[in-house]
Formats: sequence, C-alpha cells, structure tokens
Amino acid sequence: MAFYYRTSLRGHIYQSINPEILRAKWTFPFYISEFRNAETGLLFLGLNSKFFLQIFRENKNMDGNLEISLDKLPIKRLDSIEENGVERYPSDSSYDEKRVSLIRRIDFAWAVEDDEERERKKRQKKSSKDASATWQWQSMVENLQLAHQELSVIIDLINTVEANDAVTVAGMTRPKPLPNEVLSDLAVSAATKLQCYRQLGKYFKQSAKALEEQIAREARFYGALIRLQQNWKVKRQRLAAAASSSEGFIIDLFDNSLYDSAAMCRPSSLSTIRVDHDSAGMLAINLPPNSCRSLHFGFLGVHSADIPKELGKIRTRGSVEQHTREHEKESMSDDEYIKETHTLLREVHQSIFDDQVFEMLNREAFNQSIGVNVTGIRENYLQLSIGQGNTLFISLVPSSKGDDQDAANTQDSESAIVPLDSFDNVKFEEGKHGTPKRKWGFPNRTSCEIYLQQIVHEHAFVKAKDKPNLSGTRVSGQSGKDGPGLLGHFCLSLAHRIFSNRVLVELENVVCRVPYLHLMTHPTWHSQASSWTIFLKVPQSILHAESQSLKSDFQNMKDAVKSQFRTKVVVNDDRINVEGEGAPNVVSLFKRSSENISSVNKYECDLADLPVIILLQGDTVSLVAHVNPEDIKGGIAWWLVMEDGSTDDWKLQMDMYDGASEYRKFLGHLTLDVLYSTLMDLVSLCGGGRNH
Amino acid sequence: MDELANPTGPRKEFINNHCREFMKMIKDIQVTLRDEIKSACEYRPFEKCDYSSRISNEICCKKLEYVLFQLDAMKQTIDEYQATV
Repeated sequence: MAFYYRTSLRGHIYQSINPEILRAKWTFPFYISEFRNAETGLLFLGLNSKFFLQIFRENKNMDGNLEISLDKLPIKRLDSIEENGVERYPSDSSYDEKRVSLIRRIDFAWAVEDDEERERKKRQKKSSKDASATWQWQSMVENLQLAHQELSVIIDLINTVEANDAVTVAGMTRPKPLPNEVLSDLAVSAATKLQCYRQLGKYFKQSAKALEEQIAREARFYGALIRLQQNWKVKRQRLAAAASSSEGFIIDLFDNSLYDSAAMCRPSSLSTIRVDHDSAGMLAINLPPNSCRSLHFGFLGVHSADIPKELGKIRTRGSVEQHTREHEKESMSDDEYIKETHTLLREVHQSIFDDQVFEMLNREAFNQSIGVNVTGIRENYLQLSIGQGNTLFISLVPSSKGDDQDAANTQDSESAIVPLDSFDNVKFEEGKHGTPKRKWGFPNRTSCEIYLQQIVHEHAFVKAKDKPNLSGTRVSGQSGKDGPGLLGHFCLSLAHRIFSNRVLVELENVVCRVPYLHLMTHPTWHSQASSWTIFLKVPQSILHAESQSLKSDFQNMKDAVKSQFRTKVVVNDDRINVEGEGAPNVVSLFKRSSENISSVNKYECDLADLPVIILLQGDTVSLVAHVNPEDIKGGIAWWLVMEDGSTDDWKLQMDMYDGASEYRKFLGHLTLDVLYSTLMDLVSLCGGGRNH
Repeated sequence: MDELANPTGPRKEFINNHCREFMKMIKDIQVTLRDEIKSACEYRPFEKCDYSSRISNEICCKKLEYVLFQLDAMKQTIDEYQATV
C-alpha cells in the first residue's frame, strides 16, 4: 500500500510526498513504530518519543490518503543550561500565542486539495476537450512539478536538520573510494611516515652526539679522579654538591694515623681540597698562591751553601706555575696534567706535615726540656741556642720564597751575633798552608732540616710497634718528662756534631803532617757520639835506631817490638776521651766545661800532646788534665790518676768524685817544663817498675 | 636505503654487507666492554694511599737528593784534581 504522507512541521503544510524518497535518501534517527488504533483505524508513528506522528486516515472517499500532523508532546523542554547550573526553560507562551499555534495546527489541506482537485478537473476537462491539442511537453512539466515538490520537501527537511531542532543526522556513509584514490592515500600516508621518521632520526642523532660529548667530558673528569683516588683520599660531600654546581668531591689530606693524636688532631685549612671543574669539564684544583709553607732551618751567622736550586724548584713548581698552567693545558696531555696535579697534592701534603712539625717543636720549646734554650721567637720563627755560642733557627716560610727568607732572617735577627771570628780566622789561616780543610764547622743545613723532619715523623707519626730499632736514636716519648724531648735531642745532636767537627779538624791537622800517622773514622750510629782512631805505624828506621828518643825508650821496655800503635779518640757530646792500645797504654782524659768560649787554643795544644803519653803495664797511671778556664793560675790542672788493670772499661767517666778503684793526686798547675819533667820521671818510673 | 626499497628486492650482497658491518660493530663493542670491565676489576682504590709512609718517602727522597748532591760535588772535586794533575 502506498502511503501518502502529509507532514505538517511547524505549521507548514505539504503536499503528499513519496515515502520511498524519504526512506531511500536519509536515515532518520527517530524511531518509527507503528501503532494502529483498532477503534479508529488510525496509525500512529512514534517519533523520538518527542513527536507523535499522527497518521490518520482521511475520509474514505479520498482513496486512502493519510494525513500526518506532528504535535509536540506536552513536555517542558529544557532550553539550555548555564555555566552555573541554572536551567533555562522556554517561557510559557501566552494565551495569544497558544491560540495562534492552535490555529496553525488546523489542517487546511483538504481545502488546498479541493482546490487542486478542482484545478485538475478543470485541466482534465480542458485536456479532454482538446485531447488532440495535448502539449507534447505536458508530461515533462508534470514530472518537473512533482520533482519540484519533492525537492522542496527535502530542502525543508534539510533546513530542519540544520536548525538541529527535530532531527539530527546520525551518520553519513563515506562514498566508496575510487581505485586510484586508495593508492594515492597510501602513498601520502607512507610519505608522511617517512618524513616523521626522518625527523626522529635527526633528533636522535643530535641527542646521541650531545650525549657522547657529555660522556666524553665526564669520562675525562672521572678518569682523572679515579687515578687520583689511587693515591689520595677522595671523598664526597653531597650537601655541598647540592649547594654548588659541582659534584662535591674533595680530597682529604689529613693524616689520622698520628701517634700522639690528642695533641695534633687539628686539621689545617689546607687539608681539605675541593675538586673543581675547569672550563673544559676536566678536573682542576685551584689553590691560592703561596698557600704552601715549608720548613726552613739554618744557623745564625752562617751563610750556608744550599743545594742548588734545581732541587728546590721541584718543590715550588706548584705554587708558582699555577698561572701558566692554564695556558699550557691544551698542549699538555691528560697524563701530564694528572702528574702535575699529583705534584701539587704532594706539595700540599708536605706543607701540612711541615706545619705540624713546627707546631710540635714550638710546643716542646716551651715545655722547658733539656737541651732547649729559646732565644728568640717570632711569627713562624723559632730561634734556639745550642751552646758554644751557636744559634740555630727554625722557621716556616712560603714555598716560593724559601731562599730569600734565609738572608732576610740573618740580617734582622734579634739575638746576639755569634762571634765566630776567631774560629773563622783560624780556619782561614790554616787554609793558607795549602792543606785541604773542611770549610765550615757547621753541618749542612739541609741535612739538619731533613734530620729534624725525620725524627719528628718517626716519633709522632709512626705507631710504636713500627718504629725502627735504632739504638742511637731512641728519644724519650713525651716532652716534659725526664730526658730531653725531640727538640732537646735535636739540639744536643747538633751541638755534638759541631764540636766533633772541630775535633776532627784538629785530628786531621795532627795527622796530615806526619806520613806514618793514619786517621780513621768510625761510625758510631749514635747522634751524640763520634769516634776516630789514629794509627801510628813506626817506620823501620826508627825502630832499629838506638836513640834516646822517647819512642825507643818505649820499645826497650818491652820484649816484643811493636811497630803499630793505635789511639782511639771518642767524643761524647762535648767530652773527649782518648784511649790508646798496644804498648803505650794511654788513658788521658780531657774535660771541658761548656761555658768557655775561647778554649780552642788550649784544646789544640792538648791534642798535640797526644802522642806524648805515659804507659804502665798492668796498672795504668794516667795524667789527667782538667781544663778549667776559671782557674786563675792558668787553665789546666793536672791530676795523677792510678787505676786497677782489672777495670775493663778504659773510658773514665766524667765524674771526678767517683771511682772507688782510683787513686788521685792533685798536682795543680804545672808549667810546661815541669810537665815535661814529670812525664819523663813517670816514664822512667814505668820502665823501672815494669815487672810488677 | 634506496637499495632496500628496490621494488625487486635488494641484492643479496647488499644485505650481506649490511649484516657484516653490523656484526663487526657488535664485536667491537664487546671487545671494548671486555677491556673496560677487566680494567675496572683490576683497579683498587686507595691502593697507594698511606699518608704517613708517603711522608717517609718524601723524607727519603730529600735524603737521596742531598746525597746525590754530595756525590756530585765529590766527583767534581776528583775531576778537578785529575785535571790539575
């Protein structure tokens, strides 16, 4: 059954339209359900549940035309919702509006249809009248008119859809693509993908390059740091890293293996060194210039010939050449750069040690230990007197100006100038004789410096069980107790060294003139004792000579002819002990008090008398000279000492009031003639009393 | 790339070359990695990090320098002596 619908939308009245056209072209979102009212025979179409399509049959006499009128359901439709949630409803229409809308709903189709029918009848009459005069375009015109009607309905429907009031378009199926369109679409998408991939590739390459550079930089930094970590303690402070931009690495140079940790636990400001980055990302250590100090030692008034500066240069490189380092860095390889950094760290480490040494010496100097006599003190400068008028100083100087400071110190020193003129004159005088001499009586200042550092290090920094077992260098532990501390020991050693140098000069003097006297030095491994031996090899000519000389008398006393005599000279601190073996048994003892300054001359003549000695087989009789400058009669007082032969120890100790087995007789001051005659008497006495 | 996009398919040697290059690179990476791991295992941090013995060594170095200086002076004296003789 073909339905002819007459739709009335918004009061518009339409002619009947072909339902097939409707269904074919659009799919409406409304739900069409058919209801057939059994009583009235009316067909109802439900439309989106909002509209109610009322299809009613027209009068039966109109051959089944259906007329449809759409009524809005009486629902209060929401107009809009505002942002704040307020709902807007359409305003209620007024009474007039309602009436107008009702009027609109009246369907005048029948009237229109009647008119149309009348016109059609007229036309039919006309056409029947002039059937012969039928226009050949009549059917086309009619078709066009029909098409026009349908088009207008469609247009109206589209307008309604556009207005979004009644219906909306559910979907539109895509037109089926043409075959070449498929390929071109594929090509376009492939090209787009290729473009995207290319861009991605470029981006990744850039990132990779940047990452490689970053890694290279960090590898350089961490490679250097790891090599430093083999030798130094590298630590990390994360809090500092958060504050600054670097990673917070530091190198800790503080040595916590100190023996005396209670006394020396203050780390200096230098002991923590920050590791920075330089401009190229490489490891860099920035130290303020002249922050390193080194220990400097010297004798006042003595200009010592230092070791040449090439050796000192190695030490001062770090502080002086830091400015040039920046310029030379590009030309330096990483290895060399790391080596330089090592050197710098070594210097700082040594500087810290020297600081600690100096501090410790200061502390000892004011603890009043034996052998320490402070005569001057300044900032970083300590001056001590070690007896015999010698003065030494110990100071801390910045590494770059070590040698200049020496001259400055000797010029503006506040203590007494050491009057060594006599000593020097003697030296130079003897030098004129053309014999080889030791130039200076003082030990080399570098060796003293090294010695000082070594004993401090051994004492304070090495654990007790690791200390080397050298018998001579035993130093008592803490300062202030009995016995000298480190500094006292050092001063005593130096004093001894100076004195023994003079003794050696004298011995050399004696020996060098006589071809059959030989001098030999014995190492004692004790810093306060020295020992030499003089060998007297009597030549054959004298041996067989029957002269009245002293030496032949010696030989006549004995059956065996001895041709070699040995004299041993031992110096303990400033005490000289001379001892002889072989036929002339000689014990003679020289004592000097340490206050005298001008005892040099006397000492000389004492030594020159060395070969002139007394002997006794069995018991020994010795002539002991006691040098006392305060004696108004002259300096030397002579004692005659007899001791048992059973004493094994030939060394007479210094104490004159000791020795139960000794017999002493005071002879007093003797002139040279008296002395000589006394000696001769004793010799003859020995020759006579030989048998008992 | 163009070779790979060849409509008839890339030539076999081309693919072989590519694969060979790739495997060579992998091998290089493995060799480098092995070396790095070995050196990392051999590294011992703080191996020569004993500060007090370092100071002893420094003192010994100074002694050696001094002795060398003395020996040089002696040698010089001997040379001068021999020169004058």
